[in-house]
Amino acid sequence: MSELSTALVFWPGAVVMLAAGVFVFRTPSMTRAGLLLLVALAVEGLLFLALASQFLGVLQLLMMSAEMTVMVFFMVMYMPDPGGLMGMDMTHQKRTSTSFAVAVGVGLAVLAVVTDWPATTLPADAPDVRAIGFEVMGRSMFTFLFAGVTILFSMVGAVMLGERGGRFDLARPGDERRAEQETEG
Amino acid sequence: MSLTVVIAVAALLFGIGLYGVLSQTNAVMIVMGVELMLGAAMLNVVGFLRYAWPEAVSGSFFVLVVMTLMALEAAVGFALITSVFRNRRTAEVDDLTELQG
Repeated sequence: MSELSTALVFWPGAVVMLAAGVFVFRTPSMTRAGLLLLVALAVEGLLFLALASQFLGVLQLLMMSAEMTVMVFFMVMYMPDPGGLMGMDMTHQKRTSTSFAVAVGVGLAVLAVVTDWPATTLPADAPDVRAIGFEVMGRSMFTFLFAGVTILFSMVGAVMLGERGGRFDLARPGDERRAEQETEG
Repeated sequence: MSLTVVIAVAALLFGIGLYGVLSQTNAVMIVMGVELMLGAAMLNVVGFLRYAWPEAVSGSFFVLVVMTLMALEAAVGFALITSVFRNRRTAEVDDLTELQG
């Protein structure tokens, strides 16, 4: 992508992403909050595409659209006020969190502006998606496998945690007596 | 367009996520704040890939691991919230104070 087309996608995208990110925590409706997060992270995928990372951009769009749709269901399930019609206040330590977040966000942004970053223009023979395919079969194979195994472990852990009664099941009446009899016998 | 712009945008996104983590009372919303912070981290790396080291293909896999982490953090986070909700009938973090001395 040329420099102009990158800028044409990046600037509106960045504005939409940041605005959606802010409104995630401002809207009273949980469904809307989940969908706004979907918008923020999907637009981030578009920014990846604009920044010449085709593989990551498409991956981000696919993963986040699925993940955030699932998230909306969880939001509706666990929220005391899923529709946002009761006008509940769902924030605490307002002043501390606002001032801390503004300080960190603006501080890091100022730091980014004043730092002298390396600047290279994208060469014409820059690696494309094809190079990523070779990379995954070469040096980065371990990283890729590691991500897969981590997903497997987390799936097992999440199922165990989410199971009714947890890892060791709920205590039932008579459990202690049975345990005593087992140790005696 | 330069690396500075990308990193500044990522810093602001990180700040928004931090606000969510600190200010929200519901555990599900805190997970969403963490998602935004990890999204900022990914945008940072993609910016570096585009403007500083375009030839470093393995950097993409770093972003891939962060993306995996985002999904897993949500999955394990929701499993924890499910577990808490089953026992306490609430996912409000302000109510979970029994470890307080």
